[in-house]
Amino acid sequence: MASLIKSAFQAIKEKGIRNVVNELKEGGYGKCLLDGNLLQTKIHNIGATLVGVDQFGNKYYENMQCQYGRHRWVEYAKKDRYNASQVPPEWHGWLHHITDHTGDELLMLKPKRYSLEHRENFSGEGDEFIYHSKGHTLNPGQRDWTRYQPWQPTPKS
Amino acid sequence: MGLGIRALRATRSSALGRIYSTSPIYHRILSPSSPSFFRWIVTTPELQKPDAAAEPAPQPPPPPTPVGGARVQITKPEDAIEVFVDGFPVKIPKGMTVLQACEVAGVDIPRFCYHSRLSIAGNCRMCLVEVEKSPKPVASCAMPALPGMKIKTDTPLAKKAREGVMEFLLMNHPLDCPICDQGGECDLQDQSMAFGSDRGRFTEMKRSVVDKNLGPLVKTVMTRCIQCTRCVRFASEIAGVQDLGMLGRGSGEEIGTYVERLMTSELSGNVIDICPVGALTSKPFAFKARNWELKGTETIDVTDAVGSNIRIDSRGPEVMRVLPCLNEDINEEWISDKTRFCYDGLKRQRLSDPMIRGSDGQFRAVTWRDALAVVAEAAHNTKPEEIVGIVGQLSDAESMMALKDFLNRMGSNNVWAEGNGVNPQADLRSNFLLNTTISGFGKADLFLLVGSQPRVEAPMVNARIRKTIRATQAKVAYIGPATDFNYDHQHLGTGAQTLIEIAEGRHPFCSSLLSAKNPVVILGAGVFERMDKDTIISAVETIAKYGKVMRPEWKGLNVLLLNAAQAASLDLGLVPEANSSIETAKFLYLMGADDVNLDKVPGDAFVVYQGHHGDKSVYRANIILPASAFSEKEGIYENTEGCAQSTSPAVPTVGDARDDWKIIRALSEVAGVYLPYDNLEAIRCRIRVVAPNLLQMDEKEAPTVSAALKPEFTGKISKSAFGTTVENFYMTDAITRASKIMAQCSATLSKRK
Repeated sequence: MASLIKSAFQAIKEKGIRNVVNELKEGGYGKCLLDGNLLQTKIHNIGATLVGVDQFGNKYYENMQCQYGRHRWVEYAKKDRYNASQVPPEWHGWLHHITDHTGDELLMLKPKRYSLEHRENFSGEGDEFIYHSKGHTLNPGQRDWTRYQPWQPTPKS
Repeated sequence: MGLGIRALRATRSSALGRIYSTSPIYHRILSPSSPSFFRWIVTTPELQKPDAAAEPAPQPPPPPTPVGGARVQITKPEDAIEVFVDGFPVKIPKGMTVLQACEVAGVDIPRFCYHSRLSIAGNCRMCLVEVEKSPKPVASCAMPALPGMKIKTDTPLAKKAREGVMEFLLMNHPLDCPICDQGGECDLQDQSMAFGSDRGRFTEMKRSVVDKNLGPLVKTVMTRCIQCTRCVRFASEIAGVQDLGMLGRGSGEEIGTYVERLMTSELSGNVIDICPVGALTSKPFAFKARNWELKGTETIDVTDAVGSNIRIDSRGPEVMRVLPCLNEDINEEWISDKTRFCYDGLKRQRLSDPMIRGSDGQFRAVTWRDALAVVAEAAHNTKPEEIVGIVGQLSDAESMMALKDFLNRMGSNNVWAEGNGVNPQADLRSNFLLNTTISGFGKADLFLLVGSQPRVEAPMVNARIRKTIRATQAKVAYIGPATDFNYDHQHLGTGAQTLIEIAEGRHPFCSSLLSAKNPVVILGAGVFERMDKDTIISAVETIAKYGKVMRPEWKGLNVLLLNAAQAASLDLGLVPEANSSIETAKFLYLMGADDVNLDKVPGDAFVVYQGHHGDKSVYRANIILPASAFSEKEGIYENTEGCAQSTSPAVPTVGDARDDWKIIRALSEVAGVYLPYDNLEAIRCRIRVVAPNLLQMDEKEAPTVSAALKPEFTGKISKSAFGTTVENFYMTDAITRASKIMAQCSATLSKRK
């Protein structure tokens, strides 16, 4: 604890108080005070190795000192709403101990022409996030359906 | 299969009867013969009473009914042979195949390649049946029936053979029924329910075939093709284009056009119907609907004067597709591409509200009350002889009658239908009808086409001519501008000059005309618009008299009309009083008339346009009254052979539109000249007074042919050649001009023609 406070003072001395506050805010420490999960992750991160960062900014940590099976975790990029579907498929395997290849390694094996870009699950986030197939009643295209197209009187002659 | 079901039914009904007859309990309690007081519930009473099983007398099975109500006509009794289908004796004419004999016996044989209107290919092998004393199952579609043949259609051998064939067919057929447009109306799907296995033994890869581009109408998914070659045979035999063919052998066999080209036929849509699987489907209909969602309405096509019988498939208020209906006398089971694919025009450019052109030249929507009041006032402010009415191509008989009655009551008799030209000959029905009738063409051995291009004017008539030529090697001679025929023809000349030569007997063609037994002369209705049409008509009549074309037993002089409304308008006597009345018109009532030349209409004339599409004439109109299209109303149309048929409404009208005759009926009341009919029956009673033949639906009242045809032709004849009447096959009326599919077709297909 003492070393933590010492290093904090060190940082303030080097960078100035404003920069340190900004850094803490960007790192999501502000939210940590309200959200225990985030704070727990932050504390957990101390001493862990950062294995990789994915395209969305999620950070993947590993700490071999931890109990086996709890030694890999993710710190989500979004601090306000985070859920497991934000992990892209290439990191999923690493994170769930399916494989020891990291997401960055797996990305190199990904065929170019396959698969859509990963999207997180937007269930419950509103109609605009819900996928409606082409024939679905709530598809915007379907809602513009008209039975017939009336003739528009345009003065021609 | 038929016998099995019948036998099952017989046993079931007798078993039920037995249960009911022995039910009352006290009988059993009181009866001394019952072995014990209690009686177990049994489902098979036969086991309780052993003699009951033999009790019902075996009823003779009902006589077999032919499949689809088909009738067999045995012309020569000595040619009839008797065969036995599943033990039933059937009398059939000689030369019928085993499959046809089975159909007469009421047994439907599964088939893919066999089609009754095409030549026999015998390559799908689905129609295998067992024939006694034959070592192997035989393909019934290609096997002629022989006297005394014993055909068995529901034996284990036949079933096993079909199951084997089905397994081979499904070997390379993709399992994409959920995304296939044919799903639900697919022969392969249906028959695999009866003969298909629930699993395949084939573990190799399915083959895939590259899709062919057959143009904007026919979508191809060639992997689904089972090589029945129906489309190939249709194209070469009925449509008369040699576009499609079979390439390769064995598993490399595929249907294609050899070199990349489109299918340039006006009947190409029919390959969609005859394809037993989903290899050829409708491109505009692709992924739009499933066939079980659709409501079918049998009605009449109005895009040409043939009046093909069609079925409009609609989903809710929308027309989804158009399919042919069987009518042996008119269109058999085909329809033209224009008929089949013009339906999207019914959804575009529709007039939905009454509109009045304001003083600034802009249209604004008004209520019916205001619109009719304005029209009535304008009609009353015009002198009766300056009131003119023109009826369009797509009008039904009721509305023509109403318009004529209304204008007559306003004091004018200047009402005519477009396309009839000046001074139409409406007195004798034989002067404007196809007297031979379309089905009567089958007996002809010589055709003389005068200024008529049936391929674009009436494709179904053309298909019938082609069928006759294929069957009897009839000859075709043609006078008119050089066009594309899909059969051999002799081009005699381009103009009326050649016609005169034949009429005067100076032309080499006269000898073949005289030697012909049943000659047919077809005069195109395009000549009605010519100034020298009377001379041409009398020249044609001279030829008819000279070549003995009109005889009591053979009526070979025909007029091929162009529009659906033409025949009925002439029957109803829509003949103008004065020829040049459009130049002096002050009040012009256009009922769907879009092909009249409105340049000559005086600038101060009040033009009323009543119709369903904003096409050409609306731009000149002062007031627009929206009417319903043919798919939305019940109306009588008379086709070019004089056969009256009625449309039936498939979908509701759009917007504020009304039926044509109802608008005029309402207008007459506002104008103070009350027309005495309030419903369809009443107006049809009025039509019965004028033209009773229009109410004899689906019947052709043969016109009385005057014995003395007008012989002499006098008057000037113009040197100019006969014109091409239909410039663009795909766009001839308001509906087809509004259609996007038709626009695509004319862009891609007409160029190549």
